[in-house]
Amino acid sequence: MRDFWNRYKRNRSAVFGLVVIFLVILMAATADLLYAFDPFRLAGKPLSSPGTNGFLLGSDSLGRDVAAGIVHGAKTSLLIGLVATLVAVFIGILFGALAGYYGGQIDNILMRVTEVFQTIPSFIFAILLVAILKPSIYSVVIAISVVSWPGVARLVRGEFLSLKNREFVQACHTLGMSDLRIMLREILPNCLSPIIVIGSLMIATAILIESGLSFLGLGDPNIMSWGFQIGAGRTMLRSAWWVCTFPGVAILITVLAINLVGEGLNDALNPRLRERN
Amino acid sequence: MNNIFKGFLVAIALMMSSFAAKAQEAGGTLAFLVQPEPPTLASYVSTSGPIGLVMPKVYEGLFDYDNDGKMVPMLAESYEMSADGKTVTFKLRKNVRWHDGKPFTSADVKFTILEVLKKVHPRGPNSFREVSRIDTPDDHTAIFHLDNPAPYMMRSFSAYESPMVPMHLLEGQDVKSASLANNPVGTGPFKFVEWKKGQYIRLDKNEDYWQEGLPYLDRIVGRFIPDASTRTAAMENGEVMYAAYNAIPNIDAVRLKERDDIGVTTDGYSMINPMALIEFNTIEGPFVDPAIRRAISTAIDRRFMIDTIFFGYGKPATSALSSNFKATNLHAAMPNYPETGDVAAANAMLDAAGYAKDANGVRMRAVLDIIPYGEDWRRAGEYLKQVMGDIGIEVELRYEDVPTWLKRVYHNYDFEMNINYFYQLPDPVLGVHRHYGTNQIRQGTHFVNSSRYSNPELDALLDSGSKEPDAAKRTATYKEVQEILAQDMPVVNLFELEFLTVYNTQLKGAYGSAMGAYGSFREAWLDD
Repeated sequence: MRDFWNRYKRNRSAVFGLVVIFLVILMAATADLLYAFDPFRLAGKPLSSPGTNGFLLGSDSLGRDVAAGIVHGAKTSLLIGLVATLVAVFIGILFGALAGYYGGQIDNILMRVTEVFQTIPSFIFAILLVAILKPSIYSVVIAISVVSWPGVARLVRGEFLSLKNREFVQACHTLGMSDLRIMLREILPNCLSPIIVIGSLMIATAILIESGLSFLGLGDPNIMSWGFQIGAGRTMLRSAWWVCTFPGVAILITVLAINLVGEGLNDALNPRLRERN
Repeated sequence: MNNIFKGFLVAIALMMSSFAAKAQEAGGTLAFLVQPEPPTLASYVSTSGPIGLVMPKVYEGLFDYDNDGKMVPMLAESYEMSADGKTVTFKLRKNVRWHDGKPFTSADVKFTILEVLKKVHPRGPNSFREVSRIDTPDDHTAIFHLDNPAPYMMRSFSAYESPMVPMHLLEGQDVKSASLANNPVGTGPFKFVEWKKGQYIRLDKNEDYWQEGLPYLDRIVGRFIPDASTRTAAMENGEVMYAAYNAIPNIDAVRLKERDDIGVTTDGYSMINPMALIEFNTIEGPFVDPAIRRAISTAIDRRFMIDTIFFGYGKPATSALSSNFKATNLHAAMPNYPETGDVAAANAMLDAAGYAKDANGVRMRAVLDIIPYGEDWRRAGEYLKQVMGDIGIEVELRYEDVPTWLKRVYHNYDFEMNINYFYQLPDPVLGVHRHYGTNQIRQGTHFVNSSRYSNPELDALLDSGSKEPDAAKRTATYKEVQEILAQDMPVVNLFELEFLTVYNTQLKGAYGSAMGAYGSFREAWLDD
């Protein structure tokens, strides 16, 4: 662990990313203390500029507090990013492991299915899914997971293909271990590092997809999110820049930080790449 | 003995004076925005908005309507109505020719009304439902025989609502598939020349137009520009000079208005009469009790909605009928429609009706469906959620795609309340009755009585309102209608939408018709 941290902290920007993510999580966790009211509340004069009428970051066209929206929106973004990624990684591991371990017809069928999902442009597919399922937080999570898992499946399959013929796995076969046990206890732990790296990057993508969907008006109309704030403010960009600028900066910083952390994890977990800088 | 309705002298005089007032310049090309591109040009089959922007320049109606709602003679010179309101005689204009040279006669009128509008037009079967027979004693007289008086019919003779079409090009064919659809031949001030798909429609001046000296313009070009910001740019640099029905978004219109060479008007929509509203499910769910619906209407700050969401364009609703019906004396302001909302009074109404708040201040929970026609309506829903929260109604918003939404509200009645807007049209019979009458509970038909509100007393009033030829009695009838609806409130009207027309100030004479952009432009001219 200490070794891992030593390798991680060698990447300065990854440490910076970790600090930023920590702050965003802190902000999300204390949202109900910082702004202890519904972020949709009409809090005051519409289109107040930052610093006026008691609005730190201004208010939007209906008089909603932009700062409250950002703080509460952090909860939504992080939650959707995490849950959607966990679901996608789970599906991806399931498909990839079965395909890579058993090979043959199973591999063939599972990878053809994966390719079907891979060939559809992911954001458009997500729009389609949300439109069919009707916009709610569940349909957004489902849509993001469904468009994200094929990458994980491909990666896991590759790892399983290369690991399954290694000697330690063959030894397990000789010992009479069940397939399930070999997959879960022996092979999977050995390919966790790339899964963690791809998973951390997928959180960033998930946050971006969620923001894009909300921007297009396909988010859950009852839940505050950064993409929703930008979408609601985009028509008045020329007259009230603050309405979409601050949520946009929030997305930018968060996604950047997650990417930096993903990069750091990659460096720390893949010793072969350690010397690449 | 016959009570004769006559008199378009005033209107004619007004028209004449506008001739004399200013030296109009003939010539020039007017490019205007048509958004979106029309599906066909068959205005006698479809009332779709973009068709209405183009075709009234080519086809004409028997009458037009000025900004005060008065009738202006077009293909008909005058009409007389019998005392019982069941016979209407139209005197048609002489020397009118179709663009192919054939004369326009009463046979065309008879054919258009009975064989075209009554059969294939979306609203024609309703507008002309009482017309059983049309006699044509000579080429310039058409006598309509009605089963019952139909005062609202006189509001539907515009070129947009009831275009007169040439019998000789439609007779014996399937009207819906006839080739006239995309090669229109009318009597209007402009002839159809060319439709370049995806780009423009071109109309040229009709040199043989029946009114000497008109039209002024040599050419009209309707341009299709799909992207909103490109449309705004085209307006800004003078490429197009006229844009109606919010082709330029409100936010940009407000900005362009500051320029000297661009004007913005809300005139020209009184015959359309759009009204934003909330429909309630009165049969099941939380809003069966009218007291709750009255409280909601009382709580809403209509002024706030108009100012913040629609940039100040709109008028707070004051009754079930739009204030545009003041022109025909049918509108009356009603209680339960406070302009800026009264949350305290609304809370008191709910307390009195016995709906107590729980520990969280919640009296009841409900789902609000939002019309999926864009961002403005979502903002409206978000506002309503907040204001209903203030009176203890916890609202969940639901936003679906158009087919799902239509199915939920009008096929399955699977909703509790729904934000929507309706065109009230030039007469309550045409646009308002469909929302309240028992006979308008038509499962599967869109934009009718989805509240399933049924009140025999109101039905009787609506029935007499559609048949009563006497204006004063009609005023009294609709006052009662509005009183009942202000009490029962199956629908809470929010505000009268005001669409915007953005125009280049060089363009003159295009604003005199109540039909606005759906008018003929025959008196439009360009001032250099």
